[in-house]
Amino acid sequence: MKDLKYLIEFENLLDNADNDLVRQAQKDGQKAIGYTCYHMPEVLLNVDNCFSVRLRAPRSSSIDISTYYMSNYTCEFARTLLERGIEGGYQFLDGIAGVDACGAMNRCYEHMEILKINDKENFFVTHADIPYKIEDYTVRAMTKQMRLRVLDVLEEKCGADTSDDALLKAVEEHNKLCRVMTEIGDMRKKDNPPITGYEFHVLSLVSYCCPTSLILPKLEETLEEIKNRKPDPKPWYRARVAVVGSEVDDLDFTKLIEEAGAFVVADRYCYGSKPGREEIVIDKDKEILPQIVRHYMKTSECARYMSEEKVQQRRKTADYLAREYKADGIIYEQMKFCDFWAFERALASHILQQEYDWPVLSIDRPYNVRSSGQLRTRFQAFVEALEIKRIRKGKGGAA
Amino acid sequence: MSKYPNPKFFKMKDHMNFKLQGENLKEVGKIIVDMVKETDWPGVAANIKKDFKATKKRWKKEADLAKNMDASEWVDFLKNGEKQLGKLYQSGKMATVRREFRGVKDTAVDFYEWARMWGMLLATFSKDLVPALNGALHYRWMISYFCCHSFMDKNTLGLRGKALKMHHELIYAIFRYVAENLVFLMKADVKGGNSEELSKKVVLVDEMTMAQIMAGFPDLVGIPYQLMPVFLLSEIDQLACMPYIDAVESYGLPSDTCPVPTSESGACVIDALPHMGACFISSSMPCDGSVMASSYTSRRFKDLPTYHLAFPVRYEDESIMEEAVEDIKGCIKFIEEQTGAKWNWDAYFTAMKRFNKETQYELQKWEVNQTPYPQLIGPCYELFRKWNYEMDGGLDPRIMDTFEKVDKMMMEAYENREEPWRGKMRHRAIVWSVPAHYYANFSNWLANCWGINVLVEMESLNYTRPLETEDKEEALRDMARLYERMVMRRHTNGGYDHVLTELWRQVEIWKPDIVIMYQHVSCKNMSTLNGLFDDQAREHGVRLIWIEHDLMDPRTVSRKDMRSKVNEYMRTVMREEPLDPSLVDFEDDASW
Repeated sequence: MKDLKYLIEFENLLDNADNDLVRQAQKDGQKAIGYTCYHMPEVLLNVDNCFSVRLRAPRSSSIDISTYYMSNYTCEFARTLLERGIEGGYQFLDGIAGVDACGAMNRCYEHMEILKINDKENFFVTHADIPYKIEDYTVRAMTKQMRLRVLDVLEEKCGADTSDDALLKAVEEHNKLCRVMTEIGDMRKKDNPPITGYEFHVLSLVSYCCPTSLILPKLEETLEEIKNRKPDPKPWYRARVAVVGSEVDDLDFTKLIEEAGAFVVADRYCYGSKPGREEIVIDKDKEILPQIVRHYMKTSECARYMSEEKVQQRRKTADYLAREYKADGIIYEQMKFCDFWAFERALASHILQQEYDWPVLSIDRPYNVRSSGQLRTRFQAFVEALEIKRIRKGKGGAA
Repeated sequence: MSKYPNPKFFKMKDHMNFKLQGENLKEVGKIIVDMVKETDWPGVAANIKKDFKATKKRWKKEADLAKNMDASEWVDFLKNGEKQLGKLYQSGKMATVRREFRGVKDTAVDFYEWARMWGMLLATFSKDLVPALNGALHYRWMISYFCCHSFMDKNTLGLRGKALKMHHELIYAIFRYVAENLVFLMKADVKGGNSEELSKKVVLVDEMTMAQIMAGFPDLVGIPYQLMPVFLLSEIDQLACMPYIDAVESYGLPSDTCPVPTSESGACVIDALPHMGACFISSSMPCDGSVMASSYTSRRFKDLPTYHLAFPVRYEDESIMEEAVEDIKGCIKFIEEQTGAKWNWDAYFTAMKRFNKETQYELQKWEVNQTPYPQLIGPCYELFRKWNYEMDGGLDPRIMDTFEKVDKMMMEAYENREEPWRGKMRHRAIVWSVPAHYYANFSNWLANCWGINVLVEMESLNYTRPLETEDKEEALRDMARLYERMVMRRHTNGGYDHVLTELWRQVEIWKPDIVIMYQHVSCKNMSTLNGLFDDQAREHGVRLIWIEHDLMDPRTVSRKDMRSKVNEYMRTVMREEPLDPSLVDFEDDASW
């Protein structure tokens, strides 16, 4: 297939948290608000003169200083972000919108405050409380938290207009982005798709890490390009897999899977498009904020939601996406030292295998996989297993 | 005053499945036969011979010591007892070689308490003995409770005078609760007594969730589900949780997760939890791992309706109080629906009045321990505080007697300026972070070996404001505030101020010269602050002795490794010699 016009530019944008588009937006007077977690509604941070930057720490190497502070048995994602913060990599931010969802990430934000990783006068770190289940009263509580801990802070520190009209405008732009990303993502359903999993991962990440208003036109153009893109005569992959689990913002992870011959058809992980790129349906006659909050709570696939219907939702979503995107198997992954996903992965990978009949590869992984030989071998073995299964099935034997 | 627990619960009819018991007995019999067949009998004989020789050698050594003592040493020995406690341990043995001689008077007190404990255990189990015996054949963990006297002994090592009596009072209350709940568990369990009548009255509560909510349901029994098979077990027998941990790690769970939810999940995997109860209250407390263990329980017991009690994390933020109160109301409604019982405000307020009084007694202990003459210190007190705050929660009226007796003794001891560990009051210390379950009597070793006296633990310093006992809406808000500040959660949730800055505040109050800083290697909420603790300790001029452990898994860091951290620090940094050199280096890897 011909290379995508913007692919290299997008890859370059992902090389740094304060990329060219972020700098451009800030030059235009906009305020950059960092966040990490899906529990923090992205759309709220894109209100008026603010724009969201989903935090990453690309090209990280040593994390010794953050390991001194946070010890070595804790989430590498949180530690790597802290290391980047200590190095001065988040000096460009105007604020961080944090949620107290997991211990490690909360401590990461706290360290950023205590160690003063940003010396801008109005820089802030805000912490919001997040519920564990969806009930009317938890939606009310989260709405209150989003008003007090996010919107009011944006108003006070950044002078943002957080009225219903401003929120609606942010939602409309967000939905436009979601429609583009969904249309691109759906092309992965084709037997011979005009896009690879790696390319989609790049597009998905830039949509989170750049100001929406600046990245959207380029993504729209890319959508048109992909629509007209001619795939190779024969599909390049040996198997199709859905990736399910915790945070992945490492392009090398997808690259490693695809180098092993597996096409990543669905990205049901944090920082992926499922969830994240679903349109927010708004009833304009009702208050906007509770609707946004409910949307994020309902679509969240975070293992932290402990109520039974959410536990079942996670399993069903994994199964549904794998079927919908015609996957041959599921790669269930978790960030090393993440308590939520450690328990979830161990149990769900068995259930998806035994009750939903999916071949499952269950792995824990570091934040940056780079050229992990161990993971490469496991991916290769999984692809072979899927191929053998397909051959057996073709011969009418037991799958 | 009505009897507690309700005597009817013990009398409810069992429906034991004798066919099932027979099959199990056959299986156990087969295991015993296999064990007999596979035992290396000549090896056993050799070991007995070796033990006999070692005992002879020990007797000779003790006789020699006695021979060489002069009159004043004899007087001291008869008054204060032996001084070298390390010789009670024998490498590779589960039990100590004998009980401690504490001087004539205190040994008599100790023996009386030993007998009283036996009496209570036998009397309690005899209320429904057969299901309990069957339980011992079904559940490996039941066997560990046979060593509860050993647990009592190791927690009271070296204590004399009123301190010894106080510790016995406290541990007696805990074991009475344990025995009664074991009887209920075995009686209601499908595999045991199979008492449907009792099972319908049982509300299983996550072991990390406080008991107070059950005070409003006096006709029901609230049992912390995993407390006996997992949590308390790991304090009594350091080897007991390994099968759980291994099972769930074989299942796919990484080894870096906290051993509490890990063991709870492992207990589900190997079917070590009794099958019973009208419903289960799971909880998000105190940390991320606990949130996740509930999905394992739900999966194992699909017929057990579950309510997830999940309070806001940032508990100082009163703007989310409504959510917490609604959650409590939801939980009450759920229990009512599942059991048919009705919430009783009078019963709740009565229990909370008691709990408030108990809290006042607790504050008095703190006041005494903050003086230069601390009185109630050591493992039994540490355990009792947590148990009373979390598991008892004012529900049991008998505990008020315990508080009154202990308070009286404590005040007398304080007036007499007594020393809990006679001649061993060298350093004042407080414990921060999570103590190791498998070394529940570590503070006892600290005092006996190095004269480091632990005045208070972080886990004891919880919510002490009196709870509302008249206004119903305010009472619910207070219950939420209490639950949000449960053991561990009070410190590890809601921001670093609650645990990091709080330490420096407590140092000001208790004036310790040492802080025993546990590093539970799998506790993410604590270990993510390691560097800041170190940085700020230097700024505050506070001595931290870092001691790593893995809570319920002594294979990661053994008890001996924990001790060596202190030994090293005391010798190299403090340049001190131990008070009891026999305790510096001994083997207890295989002991309970």
